[in-house]
Amino acid sequence: MYGLEAIATNNGWAISVVGVSIVFTGLMLLSLSISRIHKILDLWDNRNDIRIFRKKTQEKKEPVLLVFTENNKESARQFRLLIKTMDDPFSLQCLLYLAQISGLERPHSSLCRLIKAGIIEPDHQGKYFFNREAFKKFAS
Amino acid sequence: METLFLDFFQNTGFFLCDYRNIIMILVGMLFIYLGIAKDYEPLLLVPIGFGMLMGNIPVFKGLGLGIYESNSVLHYLYLGVTQGVYPPLIFLGIGAMTDFSTLLARPVLMLLGAAAQAGIFITFLGALALGFTPHEAASIGIIGGADGPTAIFLTAKLAPTLIGPIAVAAYSYMALVPVIQPPIMRFLTSRKERLIRMEEPREVTKREKILFPIIAFLLCCFLAPAALPLLGMLCFGNLLKEAVVTERLAVAARTSIIDSVTILLGVTVGASTQGDVFLTTKSVGIFFLGALSFCIATACGVIFAKFMNLFLKSKINPLLGAAGVSAVPDSARVVQVVGQREDPTNFLLMHAMAPNISGVIGSAIAAGVLWSFMS
Repeated sequence: MYGLEAIATNNGWAISVVGVSIVFTGLMLLSLSISRIHKILDLWDNRNDIRIFRKKTQEKKEPVLLVFTENNKESARQFRLLIKTMDDPFSLQCLLYLAQISGLERPHSSLCRLIKAGIIEPDHQGKYFFNREAFKKFAS
Repeated sequence: METLFLDFFQNTGFFLCDYRNIIMILVGMLFIYLGIAKDYEPLLLVPIGFGMLMGNIPVFKGLGLGIYESNSVLHYLYLGVTQGVYPPLIFLGIGAMTDFSTLLARPVLMLLGAAAQAGIFITFLGALALGFTPHEAASIGIIGGADGPTAIFLTAKLAPTLIGPIAVAAYSYMALVPVIQPPIMRFLTSRKERLIRMEEPREVTKREKILFPIIAFLLCCFLAPAALPLLGMLCFGNLLKEAVVTERLAVAARTSIIDSVTILLGVTVGASTQGDVFLTTKSVGIFFLGALSFCIATACGVIFAKFMNLFLKSKINPLLGAAGVSAVPDSARVVQVVGQREDPTNFLLMHAMAPNISGVIGSAIAAGVLWSFMS
């Protein structure tokens, strides 16, 4: 038997179509999965950051029981002025230095209160940024 | 005394010689010449060529000398071919010497390796149309995968009587990649397309390289379990290489094991081409269809690369499609040569290795699929 008749009798068309499809599917799936490997590995490497993020959001939900006196509010306003002169995000060490040379009272303790109140927040990459909402809530 | 002398003379090759043996000895010498003088796949053509000389020495039947006599040494060595032992061991070595970085850096190029496998199935149809049985047609079609071990493995399982012609055809065309592919590549691409430069691939981490063989093996073998012997060994070899802690095993796989098996495979496949068995009309058909399969596979790869360019933002050089037929690393080298003829500063070799390696995986899957369909 020869020609198209032989192909049809031996189920050639179906074998070819299904065969090509399986090869394509296999390599396409493999291609898709290996294109994601490096992203999955990145995610795995940064799994601690994800946990910190979760803790941070949980912490945010807890009410902060901090009382700001008029002196504390004044100190917060002065720190805000200093932060405005700096880059965003800024270095806490530089802010402390600026506060010391500007003659602010008890700069360490004031800074600690601002951090606890969430007015100054870490960006988790070694720097900090100013949180306007928290400032309005506690110090304005 | 005269009788003794006459008996001895009747047992010599000069007396038993057949014109078919002479033809095959000449073909064997041509293979050796191409391997040594022209440097066409010498590691394969020289053992196969010498095997042809060994297999075509006319011997007295019953002495246990011929490869098809069950008690001969050559027959025992040939069991590695007929039982499908050698091809997976070669894949182990290939895995241990292959770097999958370019494939991991740009996985989309893997589709070119899949497209080139269409040649296998088109040739399968052609072989059926020419009157071959489905088992024989599948074994002939796999020549288009341009992967000698895969072709031998599948033929050993489906049509053991055709191992000689199919192995010789597969390896001959693999050696002739630099002759067969360039005209097709130039015919199907414009100069502008051949000048396309590929983006620099991203850096691939060690962990990605270690994970790849495991993921590839699990994914492909769950999809096509019949590809297990070939893909399993390929991925295992690669894992040995990338794991670093198993460097000794990797070195053994990519040096002593693959070299020993290549020698045994080459010599026994060559020896299996005894003139009376090999020179048949079927062999002529196999050679014709094998060449056709190779050409179709190359064309499918190039055309699919052009098709992909319709959708990709960062265009790929369609010449890379030709590397989708396995023939590692010859077809990738051909891509580099053809690309550099247009622009000597365009380096495509590294990029061509991606479809080239995916072609190996694709042809192993195709072999597994055909085997499972025919079983």
